[in-house]
Amino acid sequence: MNTFLRKNLLLLLTLAVLAGFLAAAGRNMETSDFVITLLRGFSVGALTFLVASGFSLIFGLLDVLNLAHGTLFMIGAYAGWTVYVRPDTFIDLVTPLALLVSGFTLADAWRHLAVRISMTGRGVAAWIGFGVAALLLAYILPRYPIAMWNVDDYAQSPVAYSLAASQGQVTPPPAATFTEIAPGVAVLGLLISSAFIAFGLAWLRSGGQAGRPLTWRSFTRVAMVLLVGLGALIFNDALTAWLFALNSNWLFAIAVAVSVATGVALGGLMEVTLIRPLYVRPIYQLMLTLGLSVIGTELVRAIWGRPEFTMPKPELFAGTGAGCPATTFGDWLTHHCSTVILFEGRVRVYNEIFIPLVGLVVLISIWILLKRSRLGMIIRAGVQDRQMVEALGINVRRVFTQVFALGVGLAALGGVLAAPSIGLSNTMGESFLLNALIALAIGGLTSYPGAALGSLLVGLLQQFIIKYGQIGIPIPFTEILFKPTPPIVPASTVLLMVIVLLIMPNGLLGKKE
Amino acid sequence: MTANLSPSLWRRWRGLLITLAAALLLPFVVGLLEGQPPTAVLANSAGVSKFVQGLAIEVFIFALYALSYDLIFGITGLLSFGHAMFFAVGAYLTGALIKSFGLPLWQTLIWVTFASVLQALLFSVVLPRVKGITFALVTLGMASVFHLMIMSRELGEFTGADVGLQGMIKPDFLNPATERLRLYYVALALLVTMYYLFKRFVDSPTGRVCVAIRENEGRALMLGYNTFRFKLAALLLSSFAAALAGALYAIYQPIISPHIASLGFTVTALLIILIGGVGTLQGALVGALVYRLLDFGLRRYMGESASFVNGLIYVLIVIFLPYGIVGTWRMKSLQLRQGWAKIGDAIPWKPNDGAAR
Amino acid sequence: MDYLLDVQDIHTFIGQYHILQGVDVHVPKGSITALLGRNGAGKTTTLKSILGLTPPRQGSVRFAGQELRGLAAFDVAALGIGFVPEHRAIFRDLTVEENLRIAERRKGDYARKQAFIFSLFPDLQRLIGLSGGALSGGQQQMLAIARALVPDNRLLLIDEPSEGLAPVVIEHMMAAIRQLATEATIVLVEQNFLVASQLAETYVIIEEGRSVQAGAMRDLVNDKATIHRYLGAA
Repeated sequence: MNTFLRKNLLLLLTLAVLAGFLAAAGRNMETSDFVITLLRGFSVGALTFLVASGFSLIFGLLDVLNLAHGTLFMIGAYAGWTVYVRPDTFIDLVTPLALLVSGFTLADAWRHLAVRISMTGRGVAAWIGFGVAALLLAYILPRYPIAMWNVDDYAQSPVAYSLAASQGQVTPPPAATFTEIAPGVAVLGLLISSAFIAFGLAWLRSGGQAGRPLTWRSFTRVAMVLLVGLGALIFNDALTAWLFALNSNWLFAIAVAVSVATGVALGGLMEVTLIRPLYVRPIYQLMLTLGLSVIGTELVRAIWGRPEFTMPKPELFAGTGAGCPATTFGDWLTHHCSTVILFEGRVRVYNEIFIPLVGLVVLISIWILLKRSRLGMIIRAGVQDRQMVEALGINVRRVFTQVFALGVGLAALGGVLAAPSIGLSNTMGESFLLNALIALAIGGLTSYPGAALGSLLVGLLQQFIIKYGQIGIPIPFTEILFKPTPPIVPASTVLLMVIVLLIMPNGLLGKKE
Repeated sequence: MTANLSPSLWRRWRGLLITLAAALLLPFVVGLLEGQPPTAVLANSAGVSKFVQGLAIEVFIFALYALSYDLIFGITGLLSFGHAMFFAVGAYLTGALIKSFGLPLWQTLIWVTFASVLQALLFSVVLPRVKGITFALVTLGMASVFHLMIMSRELGEFTGADVGLQGMIKPDFLNPATERLRLYYVALALLVTMYYLFKRFVDSPTGRVCVAIRENEGRALMLGYNTFRFKLAALLLSSFAAALAGALYAIYQPIISPHIASLGFTVTALLIILIGGVGTLQGALVGALVYRLLDFGLRRYMGESASFVNGLIYVLIVIFLPYGIVGTWRMKSLQLRQGWAKIGDAIPWKPNDGAAR
Repeated sequence: MDYLLDVQDIHTFIGQYHILQGVDVHVPKGSITALLGRNGAGKTTTLKSILGLTPPRQGSVRFAGQELRGLAAFDVAALGIGFVPEHRAIFRDLTVEENLRIAERRKGDYARKQAFIFSLFPDLQRLIGLSGGALSGGQQQMLAIARALVPDNRLLLIDEPSEGLAPVVIEHMMAAIRQLATEATIVLVEQNFLVASQLAETYVIIEEGRSVQAGAMRDLVNDKATIHRYLGAA
């Protein structure tokens, strides 16, 4: 115990000072204000943590500073919004995506085939295949019917749909139909182009090494994907109608799941195709992830438009009628109020209670994953010594892909959770990436508990400064009431970061190198 | 001996000299292509030549700024995310001193130099304590505080807050409107001088130690070098060059935009040297040219989707030009030369054999 | 003769530096082979090149008849090669048990080998719950070797097992390695010639990135001139 004290003296002192500040901050405001600010801090902290934890896992194990992480957070939000507000678009997208993926699920088979057909000039052949696939896609995709919003027409813009959805009156727009292209041609064309691309890649990569032995699993995988794709095509109308009629709680759950899946898929794809060749020249990863974040932001702007909008909250957190705001837990359960009374203050359930709870659940689940699973063991080992993990015969490449996908999936989860509380905007990614970076610097770049502590501190500090911007800080011994202006909010976290780093260069919970 | 020396010197500097000659002639060549006689160009009459000069001045400013970043990041290996502050201090100080205090340019430049030393010292205070990515974050922090100071309403009188500093009266002899050709040559001369200075620095023993610090700081320490002093030297030189670039920016641009103090502007410097080739110095020049022209061309011809295409091009550069333009070119030319040498080995007779013996 | 590991004329670069400039190592099945040579001669790089951690640019590395050059390090290791690196590379944040479990290549490897490992290193059983960072140097070395024993390895590459250990611990280590040789073929890098000469049957001397001499250890022990020339020690 004594040695523990001595080793962590600096940390404990810093934490004590911070706790002192927190207590002092509470003395100048009403209890209800204090509680609400505290909860808001937890909320922002939880969202920051979802970005920061993934970022830190990726940085710790892969040494990649993924500057596109904020953009992926934002994409998660927009993907979730699409499923939640426009399920018809989502169902329309399932078919082409599944068909395009189907070719890649057969990767093992392609590899075997590629080894068999080894001819000279296969590089050229593969590129011809890519070209044919690109032409096919260029023909099919613009003609493929997808029910969409229109960013140029206000009545059909995402903003308008969001508004309608928050009043519970989304009228499903007419379903898109196959008019310019026959369904059979579209399906066949997508399948062929997917196969061409997947086989071409296998051909380019096959260095005379036969891949893993072919199992039935790869065939069941492709069957599943095709089933989903074709099923969504055949039962398109029924599925759309079902989703529109679905209880918004369930729809929200589906939106969260799809958004996380999108994040995982994007992360995996990004690691395999773009990041993997760059492990040997790390600086260029910065440029790549920067470029990707610009591309991502511009894509979001092009698809969903520039104006900000909010995703409506699911029914569970949206009740306003009789019995609201709830004063007891039982009340809340019966009325699903959007706000509850806590210490005489009105607290928004979704923003200030649900999000921190999810953050806590994720915190604990990832903690268990790290401590109890084999993947977690490999991650912890790899953060320290990647080469040795490799020398043990562990397929680090696969672990890298998994961790990258996991990290991006967490960011996407953060995004979709943030959508109903802080809303969707083109800049949400940037601001949360900055928050996460600061949180990680404070907590320790590769430390998982550090990410949690740092995020919490960043969230609390920001919210308290915002609160004091409203009520003002009385400067002792004077009559002056100092009101922090909005720019001071980011400045305060930056200042905290610089101070912490100067006292403890590795962050509060970071390990010494 | 001298006879031997001059061809090698010529080979070393020929690229620079040819570029320099091209840059010197550029305004007149463009003028002639448009049908403007050289006298009209000299008189700064409106036309394509004047426009191209303006674009070139911007390239020079970017090049000088990127050069200064290459010195601390590419050569010395210090990843700073606060470099925009070095530039912005130069720009804002020039703007504020001339506009609000009415100082003449030469006094302003003395103050800018002084400020550049100060900010380098400020960054170096944290150097012994934090390394690597942490240094990047701390510098980011300092630069953000500066950015917020510029944007704040309290200093708006001097900085123009979020609108930017405008209405600075340009010095007569360097006025971008009436004396653009002179400004063009002054900017060019400044860039060439600084490039020469940087080149000499990198080739000097001090510069070699800086490279050694980038490769392995522990080893440089063990060899008995006080690495802090070398990093400080690089920071000072870099800060000075960046502040000069900022001063030039203040003179050329009608508005000093607060954007130049943001993280985005540091990223611009990073992108430029990544495009050109990290740690090559020439890469900063090539990268600045490519970056500015790309940005200009895309905005002009692509309109809305310019940023998207820009991002795409960065990704493509990373994939296809693995070490930037200059870095990849050097590698390829080395491989080519080795390839020629191999072919030479295969040839049984060698023309030089007899002469050598 | 048939070798389990057959390294022929490998050239390895680290950055621009040409570290290995032609190394040959022939390891008969079931033997202990020692790589000898001065500091910085390229012994560790040879081990890493065999494993693919620093992949050689030229030459061939054949293991049980299969060419290893071009395979990723984890694929090489998965063929049945265990690696005990210099400075042990114990995972500090993992417990002793986790340090062993992480080396499993198939489920149940650890359970199967547990008894054998603890008979070899009884101390480890006592320390099983401690974190790797809390162990002493000798204990870490034992753990590093034990870690290489968890999966079924046919070849063990052991780098400097006696480095920084007390004489009593070295004795223990040597006994353990001798016992291991009955199970697997061993390639050993060892600075301490006394230790190497007592353990190994064959040797390869590496000098400035080249293998300069190889043969049976019992011949080398009596060849004072060679020892003096390449190893500096008497």
